[in-house]
Amino acid sequence: MNPERIYRRVAVFGGVYSNYLALEATLEDARQRDVEAIFCLGDMGAFGPHPDRVFPLLREAGVLAIQGNYDDSMAAGKEDCGCGYTDPRDNHFARISYEYTFKNTSAENKAWLGTLPKQRRIRLGKHRVLMCHGSPRTVNEFLWESTTPNGLLARFMRDFHTDAILCTHTGIKWQRILPDGKQVVNVGAIGRPENDGMTNVWYTVLTSGDDLHVEFAPVHYDHETLAREMEMEGLPPEFIETIRTGWWTTCLEILPAKERARGKH
Amino acid sequence: MTTPTVPFRHLATLWIQVTGTWCNLQCAHCINSSGPTDPWLKSLDTRTVKRYIHEAEDLGVKEIYFTGGEPFLHKDILELLAFSLAVAPTTVLTNGTKITEAVADSLADLARKSPYSLEIRVSVDDIDPDRNDRIRGKGALAKAVRAIRLLYARGLLPILTATEILQAEMPEGNGMYDRFRDFLLTQGIAKPRVKIIPVFPIGRMAQEGGGLLTEEMLRGYDFSLLQCTETRVVADGGVYCCPILAGLKEARLQERGLKESLTSCRLYHTACVTCYQTGMTCKNF
Ligand SMILES: [Fe+2]
Repeated sequence: MNPERIYRRVAVFGGVYSNYLALEATLEDARQRDVEAIFCLGDMGAFGPHPDRVFPLLREAGVLAIQGNYDDSMAAGKEDCGCGYTDPRDNHFARISYEYTFKNTSAENKAWLGTLPKQRRIRLGKHRVLMCHGSPRTVNEFLWESTTPNGLLARFMRDFHTDAILCTHTGIKWQRILPDGKQVVNVGAIGRPENDGMTNVWYTVLTSGDDLHVEFAPVHYDHETLAREMEMEGLPPEFIETIRTGWWTTCLEILPAKERARGKH
Repeated sequence: MTTPTVPFRHLATLWIQVTGTWCNLQCAHCINSSGPTDPWLKSLDTRTVKRYIHEAEDLGVKEIYFTGGEPFLHKDILELLAFSLAVAPTTVLTNGTKITEAVADSLADLARKSPYSLEIRVSVDDIDPDRNDRIRGKGALAKAVRAIRLLYARGLLPILTATEILQAEMPEGNGMYDRFRDFLLTQGIAKPRVKIIPVFPIGRMAQEGGGLLTEEMLRGYDFSLLQCTETRVVADGGVYCCPILAGLKEARLQERGLKESLTSCRLYHTACVTCYQTGMTCKNF
């Protein structure tokens, strides 16, 4: 096993969802924060327009990525995104976005997604950090703040021999410090606002120290241009409304009660 | 022909059949033939339930579900829900008939105090009172709808749950999911949540000579689609492999401990075919 690379400060984001404008803005913001590396926890495609535009940005910036469920599906040519929805309404919109994204992503970029590792481990100072997409055990497991019990997180820390777990997949950020000081951070997504009525998106900056320091960084980007391009591409008006208003209109049924109650729809 | 077995993965969901098969309704399709008189499966006592929840927490459980019977017939149900919500996100499956204003107030209070989500699934079979009550008993729909409104008014977001038992009576293309969703919207429920469940050939819907799963059918099948790889049920008599089969001797894995029940289990029942064919899960999502 490779010894894990040790860092002092890194930026981590998830869920690009083809939002290349938010990706550009995130990379620019991260560069100004003196980070030593930038990591992406997967799901490059979905939702947004022109999926091929995110790949050169990721490569040029030297982003160290892992594979999300979407990336796995795209690379393997699967029939659906493997998002893990069960509700018919959620699945209806997931299908539209997957078909568009699959059709508009080049074979070369699909192959690149296939080369990404499933997980990564680094050290931030003395802290062992495990990066995954959904959960350490399943790529498309949803770890929402209100449905992820401490007992489960403690078990993950033991089973996966780590001091911190970073994940995404749900699209809403949160952080939990367990009684023994170990930490879980869902870094959220940069592809879609997080259902709070704000149009910005979020990524995370982690800094080593006695305790692992976690800072959620807001990213404002030209969401109006993105919305217009989505319209030109004929993507569903529901998706475009989310970009313009910051409220989710789809993928709502997978939300647990607490998270659903906070949104508008 | 040998009965196929399914490997165990991890304990994601704990189901607690808290009132056994004791229910104040007697629905025509009930999977475990619950009813008001002489329940064949007894309720669990409060101490036993707490012990199982404690054990499940150590095992890293992700979600806890209360079912029955009708869970709100249990004398300590609110205490148990509070205990469970301190450990994990918790769901209770109910017919809604026992949800008074006071109970709804208490549930809203529990939900507010917990860091984890409380989900309440209210069962009906149709939004037409005659059709629904034919299955579930007189006045059942009105009471369920009242419960949903009481809960929603307090900031809770109940999930309307139904089986597909009456789907065949509806004209083609008139899907239950959309009808139920629209119905909730007309009731002033702006965040409608609906879960539709297939009918299982078990309990009052049991059929003679139904098909069974074979090893051949399971070759290359993704076992993670079956909830018995990540679910255990505690009910009178011990620990069982599946919420649909709870209480049945052939589905019992252990008399006592949860930990000892985390083993492979046998797909021996005709109801296993329903899960296999529909990819159905008893979970909320
Ligand atoms: Fe994902």
